[in-house]
Amino acid sequence: MRKALEGSQAIAQTVALCRPQVVAAYPITPQTHIVENIAKLVANGKMECELVSVESEFSAASLVLGAASAGSRTYTASASQGILLMSEVLYNIAGLRIPMVMTCANRAISAPLSIWNDQQDSMAVRDAGWIQLYCSDNQEAVDTTIQAYRISEATELPVMVCMDGFTLTHTLEPIDIPDQKMVDTYLPPFNFSRALDPLKPTSVGTLVSPDHYSEARHSHHHALLDAINEIVAADTDWQQLSGRSAGSLLSVDGPADAHIGILTLGSIFGTLCAARDTFTELPATKLIKLRSYRPFPVDALRQACSELTDLIVLERALSPGFGGIVSSEVQAALTHMASEVRVHSFAVGLGGRDMPLEIYRKLHKQVEVAVPAPFSIIDVELEKLSAEDHGTGAATN
Amino acid sequence: MESKLTRGGFAYPGTTLVYKTGSWRIQRPVHTHRNAPCHSACPAGEDPQAYLALLDEDKPREAWELLVSINPLPAITGRVCPHPCESVCNRGQYDEPLAIHSIERYLGDQALAKNWAYPVSPAAENAPHVAVVGAGPAGLASAYHLIRHGLQVTVFDELSEAGGTLFTIPDYRLPREIVRKEIERLLDTGISFKSRHKLGREIHLPELQQEYAAVFLAPGVMKSNEWSVDGVTPYDLHEGLHLLKQWSDVASLPAMKSAAVIGGGNTAIDIARILNRNGVDTHIVIHSSLPDPDKPAADDMRAIPREIEQALEEGVQIHDHHGVKRLILRGEKLTGIEILRMRKLPDEEGRLHRVAFEGTESILHVDQVIPAIGQVVDAAGMETLLDGKSYFSVDDWGQIEGKENIYAGGDAVEGNGGTVTEAIGNGRIAAEAIAAKLRQQQLPTINKSEPVHFNSLNMEYFEPSSRVEQVILSVEERTCETEIEGGISGLQAAHEANRCFACGNCLRCDNCWTLCPDSAVLKTNEVTFDGSFYVFDYDYCKGCGLCASECPTGYISMVNE
Amino acid sequence: MNEDTQTVTPETLMQLRKNQPRFEGLESGHRACLGCGEALAARLVTEAAGPDVMIANATGCLEIFTTPWPESAWRLPWMHSLFENTGAIAAGMEAALKAQGKPTKVLAFAGDGGTFDIGFQSLSGMLERGHNVLFVCFDNEAYMNTGIQSSSSTPHAAMTTTSPPGSARMGKQNLKKDILSIVAAHHIPYAATASVAYPSDLRKKIRRAMEIEGPTFIQIHSPCPLGWGHDGADSIKVARLAVQTGLFPVIELESREMIGSMPIRNPKPVTDYLVLQQRFRHLFQQGDVRAIEELAHIQALADHNIKHFKLRGEGMDAQDSDGADTVCRGGMRWA
Repeated sequence: MRKALEGSQAIAQTVALCRPQVVAAYPITPQTHIVENIAKLVANGKMECELVSVESEFSAASLVLGAASAGSRTYTASASQGILLMSEVLYNIAGLRIPMVMTCANRAISAPLSIWNDQQDSMAVRDAGWIQLYCSDNQEAVDTTIQAYRISEATELPVMVCMDGFTLTHTLEPIDIPDQKMVDTYLPPFNFSRALDPLKPTSVGTLVSPDHYSEARHSHHHALLDAINEIVAADTDWQQLSGRSAGSLLSVDGPADAHIGILTLGSIFGTLCAARDTFTELPATKLIKLRSYRPFPVDALRQACSELTDLIVLERALSPGFGGIVSSEVQAALTHMASEVRVHSFAVGLGGRDMPLEIYRKLHKQVEVAVPAPFSIIDVELEKLSAEDHGTGAATN
Repeated sequence: MESKLTRGGFAYPGTTLVYKTGSWRIQRPVHTHRNAPCHSACPAGEDPQAYLALLDEDKPREAWELLVSINPLPAITGRVCPHPCESVCNRGQYDEPLAIHSIERYLGDQALAKNWAYPVSPAAENAPHVAVVGAGPAGLASAYHLIRHGLQVTVFDELSEAGGTLFTIPDYRLPREIVRKEIERLLDTGISFKSRHKLGREIHLPELQQEYAAVFLAPGVMKSNEWSVDGVTPYDLHEGLHLLKQWSDVASLPAMKSAAVIGGGNTAIDIARILNRNGVDTHIVIHSSLPDPDKPAADDMRAIPREIEQALEEGVQIHDHHGVKRLILRGEKLTGIEILRMRKLPDEEGRLHRVAFEGTESILHVDQVIPAIGQVVDAAGMETLLDGKSYFSVDDWGQIEGKENIYAGGDAVEGNGGTVTEAIGNGRIAAEAIAAKLRQQQLPTINKSEPVHFNSLNMEYFEPSSRVEQVILSVEERTCETEIEGGISGLQAAHEANRCFACGNCLRCDNCWTLCPDSAVLKTNEVTFDGSFYVFDYDYCKGCGLCASECPTGYISMVNE
Repeated sequence: MNEDTQTVTPETLMQLRKNQPRFEGLESGHRACLGCGEALAARLVTEAAGPDVMIANATGCLEIFTTPWPESAWRLPWMHSLFENTGAIAAGMEAALKAQGKPTKVLAFAGDGGTFDIGFQSLSGMLERGHNVLFVCFDNEAYMNTGIQSSSSTPHAAMTTTSPPGSARMGKQNLKKDILSIVAAHHIPYAATASVAYPSDLRKKIRRAMEIEGPTFIQIHSPCPLGWGHDGADSIKVARLAVQTGLFPVIELESREMIGSMPIRNPKPVTDYLVLQQRFRHLFQQGDVRAIEELAHIQALADHNIKHFKLRGEGMDAQDSDGADTVCRGGMRWA
């Protein structure tokens, strides 16, 4: 049954359906509404779990790590500085191969301080060894959260469900919250074979010498690559049960014979769909929504791009001193295709800046150039900077 | 590559056991049983800490059995031994030494009260037969140990009753009832006792040598040393030991008002106290010193300090550092003696000799002078063995030098201190040697290792605890008949046993087991091959030495690999 | 008798090891240094705590020397995550066990760095939230695992690699942090100090803490032969002197109130303790007036502890340890 719910509220209800035994969190905008709603559910007896209000994100991540290691299904959520503060723990959780799910309510990173949305935070922990799934709307976030538990517990890898702060977390949308029975059918109780147990007292977190460290990294890397199958299966099974796909590894919207593609992560996909429908005079365009960023679905992406001549990567973060983060990976993934795909790399909507539909037209203009322009923040307004801060190589759009 | 990397790198419990940290070690701890000072000091050869351990474990009978495996007469020695064990007790350097003699007496008295049987059985009829001459402590001890070793024994004594010198000890120190009970029980172990058999009279050495597999001689010292002042003696001179025997046999003494006893041994003290009790104004004149805990004991009177102390309490006047210069005689009757001060001083070669100081003369008005200056062996029947000497010369095992199968012990042996305990020790050692010889076995090596020094104990693990003191009758209550010192109770004995440091032995205190950072000390249920309750697991022992440092009793030492 | 006559076979030894009359939570074969106080303390703690526990262990010597993959010395469910999050890991374990309805008690193990310094925040959070966790701090007064750097537990004037003495400095300038008071200020039911030199007292405190539902804290003074510069065989002696001089008060607090202390019968001069350790050797430099002043300062700190914590035993027969260090035949004192 579809209900109008705020994204955070929907996530809270969905988390409750997944029956985590331990939830720990530390407040940070824009994650707060999720945890506050969980607290309400717990207070009203609608959710049974140990909800621990810890003294930092570092402890939030650590606490759920301890709890998951002891065999409990856990949940936490954070954003921005919180993600950075817990980054050491995130690496640790993944390296220990402990299953768990967390929500990242994506937000910009300070300084300068910004409480608004972009995806620099989750990008900063890209290499932590977590599965990262990006959601383009709240229904996807709901469905992905449920799937995330199944993927995590099947692969023994932690999963970070990324949803844009405010844009999704604070937005009211009609959402279908599945019923408990459906979730219970889909998600069996957590039974962690490596859980700490006085009857089978193993030691977790040992010191590994150079003789075995490379093998540990190899195994972790391949566990992520192999998780692709589980991500696909989890979505397929969910679709059978609920009638909805949450976007599998990636999804494509647009005519199959289009030669221009735009690839995005998260909620700006919706904006681009609206723009495409507005500017019908522009060339046919495939809109590619990359849901699984880690593992990176190279094969699926190459298949989606096989007919393209130009692919614009529009992302919500950057690697200062180089440029696009996602675009560089996309470019690497698309090498040695039968016909070359030109990759155009832009950042947009940083620190919560709205993306106007006009951007769509501007993007198409970029495709017309003979040689793709270097990476830029496409909506930058240089006149707001002193001349000496424009940068010598900066293009004026 | 044996192990496959586990997911997340987890490990299975206790798997470090595959890694033998013992390979790091350059020193290893070992259990080293070392003699406790009490053991080394005991003239009888007792290991007091060992029976104290059993008593501490509330096993009084086992404690007594262990005790009488060395000394069969604990009720006697517990009363009369000067207990050198207590003088060297390491606990004395911490608070007060253990009252070992009180425990020994307690165990002996318990055995008598409860009629515990000696843990020995009579010898087989075809076992070799040994003759023992003299039924004093040395002879009785040797007979008992010969029985323990499975030999047949016949003891000969010139008197009608076994006991020898034990009966010259006054009742207030050693009730004859105790002596009789102890000896009766001892003889009951299967010893054949022939009274009124005197060597050279009823029996003769060559016959004994012929009829018996071995002979142990313990005749005591029956002949008093000659005493006079410049060749002069009073006509009615009574010798100290003779008076003691007379007192012991018929409870009467020659009439006298005052007396000067010459000598500083136990005989001198005993007769002085008896005279004193009988209303005689009694003096002791002695060259050597009264014991003083703050001074070296080299020149001290030989009597047991405790007895000297009691004699003084009772009013005996002791003139130490004095010698007799002249007898004052009216006719042949003594009216006094002139004494003067003397000191031991080194001569030109550094040897000590006594020097009399002219001008220090004084007169003691006494009507008797009683020499108690020691005795020598009565050579009758043993002339060939003594060869003109006063005492027997024996080797470490009591064998008379140059005489096959003839052994000697007790006061008759040269260099002995004249204590009951030493005599018992002589008897035991000779019996061991005789038994080994008759079985054609090797003699065991005599353990002469250094006893555990106080500094090798760890005092952090003990708490101060006061020594049990026996009840002593006040001077007014003392008589000739009643024993002056009382025994201790079972509770007191247990308290005292608990004070023992168990020097050089395993106290089973768990310190090593508890404090090993490497769990390389394993506790055993039963006592181990080395007498402890722990085993070092050298596979894992890194050799840090903590166990040795913290062993309270000095039982663990570190040795190089 | 010596070891040459030892007839114990490896099989008998292993059998004996398996049947020791105590719970062995920490097995042999770990790589601690000779005479390691921390290894001993950890064994004593696990022995007293028993098998139904789960351990969160901070980064540090204890973690390193017990778990060189693929081996582990632990016979208990044990987890090392990071250096600074032990309180939170333990809290998470506790929350999980609570949710699962299991009675297993959670222990948190950390060194002084993981307690006083980097782990302090997560410890504070754990205590404040009232998790049923016993947090044990193995206090060896510096960062030993990284090579003896100064921590906020390092005592005044001690030499470490980051507080070396020289012409302008006499070792660590600041004082050792009073972590027990800070911990107790979280209104927790039980907080105590203990020393490896007094195993009975230590185990008694562990058992006491195990019985309490709620956060408890025990700080164990654990000598580090390498870091303190003393012979491994002297670890207990050194620890004992720390107590006997008054420099390490052994006390118990319940709800911030002192309810017990190990009285000192005859306080020993601090120099007895300091002179055994190389980390204080600069205080014994002949003719250095600064050394004389520092020694006086440390003596004053000890005197202050004795007065402040009322450590002098009262009465005629004040025992230095409540008899905790007194042996008796048969080992009954260790019960």
